[in-house]
Amino acid sequence: MEDHKKALEGNSTARGVIKLSFSEKCFAVFNYTFFILMGLTTLLPFVNLIAKSLSSEGAVISGRVGLLPVGLQFDTYWYVLQDSLFLNSLKNSVLLTLVGTACSLTVTTLTAYPLSKYRLRGRKWLLLMFVFTMLFSGGLIPTYLLMQNLNLVNTFPVLFLPAMINVYNMLIIKNYFEGLPDSLEESAKLDGAGNIRILLSVILPLSLPVMATIGLFFAVAFWNDYFAAMIYITDPGLKPMQLYLKELLVSSSGDFLKDNIDAAINTTPQSIQASSILLATIPILLVYPFLQKYFVKGVLVGSVKG
Amino acid sequence: MRTTIEPQDASAASPTPGPHLNRKRGYWSRLGSDIWKEWDLYLLLVPGILVILLFKYTPMYGITIAFKDFNIFAGYADSPWVGWKHFAKLFTSPDFAQVFRNTVIISFLKIIILFPLPIIIALMLNELRNMLFKRTVQTVIYLPHFLSWVIVGGLFIDLLSTNGGIVNKVLVSLNMEPIAFFLDNSVFRSVLITSAGWKETGWSTIVYLAAFTMIDPMLYEAAKIDGAGRWKQLWHITLPGIAPIIILMFILRLGNVLEAGTEQILVMYNPVVYQVSDVIGTYVYRMGLGNQDYSFSTAVGLFEAVISFTLVIVGNAMSRKYLQRGIW
Repeated sequence: MEDHKKALEGNSTARGVIKLSFSEKCFAVFNYTFFILMGLTTLLPFVNLIAKSLSSEGAVISGRVGLLPVGLQFDTYWYVLQDSLFLNSLKNSVLLTLVGTACSLTVTTLTAYPLSKYRLRGRKWLLLMFVFTMLFSGGLIPTYLLMQNLNLVNTFPVLFLPAMINVYNMLIIKNYFEGLPDSLEESAKLDGAGNIRILLSVILPLSLPVMATIGLFFAVAFWNDYFAAMIYITDPGLKPMQLYLKELLVSSSGDFLKDNIDAAINTTPQSIQASSILLATIPILLVYPFLQKYFVKGVLVGSVKG
Repeated sequence: MRTTIEPQDASAASPTPGPHLNRKRGYWSRLGSDIWKEWDLYLLLVPGILVILLFKYTPMYGITIAFKDFNIFAGYADSPWVGWKHFAKLFTSPDFAQVFRNTVIISFLKIIILFPLPIIIALMLNELRNMLFKRTVQTVIYLPHFLSWVIVGGLFIDLLSTNGGIVNKVLVSLNMEPIAFFLDNSVFRSVLITSAGWKETGWSTIVYLAAFTMIDPMLYEAAKIDGAGRWKQLWHITLPGIAPIIILMFILRLGNVLEAGTEQILVMYNPVVYQVSDVIGTYVYRMGLGNQDYSFSTAVGLFEAVISFTLVIVGNAMSRKYLQRGIW
């Protein structure tokens, strides 16, 4: 009876009740210690960065800043927040994330819906045509030359137009649609609704979780992307924040070369660098609770059925 | 590609034939009548198809410049054909040999060290009994995945810097020489591997954690009744249970073996460490967009694309043959 109860309570609690052997206890201690250390390794770089961003430049360079700020100051944040290049790049990133996510989610969903219908003729070939682009691509230079021919270099749309369909995300949405019962579509058809109407008012309202997941996938990808901008954008007014930050870091690592040769001259505004990095991280931290919830779900949907 | 675009005209031209009248009609005519009946369903495909035709398939035509001496003024059609010239250059160039070596070394180091790590950590996470602790750990270790390489690169440049970096501070306090991590050819690759591990290891556990939940709990109950300890359960139930996922992830990883982390390296490297960190992706970027050596860098890119494509296809075929499982 007792055993039966334990089994019903499920694996984890049942194991908790059973007495651990000595070796299992040792392992548990090791395991918890390991994860505490791993957690700290993940978090301490941020703590150090926060401390640096709030410390005086002198204290940063002389290496006196550990986990707490030395010579507390907030000027670096004011400096960064008043820098018109930073603000402009922030504006570009926000705009890119909003417009890019909206367009990509729309096109990707529109493509996924017909492909989720087995009655679609040529479905197999169409799927192959999409999946092939995941396995093989024309490469960086032909793509760049295409953008040049289309006069898209140094324009805002080049940052999201080619990304409007993401095959991996499309397959996740397609799988989700395939999992919905056919009866929904059939009964809406009897009421005289067309395919577009069915997608908009029957299927989409039932697909909010997957839409949220994929929408977040897109948003994070657009927010974090610097590569497309680095290739196509030279106009400083169009640069998104990640590219702005990258150039800030690279120019400072150039200085950091110089520093090694002549340690006396120090031009690297490390505290400014630190506060810029932190400001770019804040939006991700703000949506992180949602990210975690939906991303885990998304990965599960993708791995179970994909 | 043709299957979807041409028939629309066909259907517009011929009035709808009754679907049941003629069962032996050809594919195109059936497709035509399907489109006529459900034009709205096929219409939804148009934006997606246009995007991949324009932005994915047109550049594939652009690959031809790998076999030409591309001149931007002459354009694709009028640049002269040169056959395998750029590939001959590629195979004899000492630069490329170095770049190829770096790519393979960095990639293999990443696979050997960073591929098993998430599996081990997922197994260890699975052993945590305190759910609150487990969830907290997961929340923390997933976080770096969501940060861009620019941010992560910035964090590491800061941590490892020789003036004020906390790591060197520790080294000095232990009476050791400070290390210029970003300028030292003997340690820079370790910086790349470590930072890649820091960013992605936690997140990569998710797939395996999900795989654990698909193992039938009855197996564990039965094993316990038979007196199997935690180790035996791990060895005989958990590992075989997630083996298919491990193999799948490995095939996917293998296809990326020539992508040693271009976005990461572009943020973190500098001319001093080019000789150990310049990989195919970064080389194509510098030769193509920096030196405007379009044809040669397209040839390099094509070389990479063909090998990667072959690896995925072969890996998948082998997995299907020997393990009866594949990606498709």
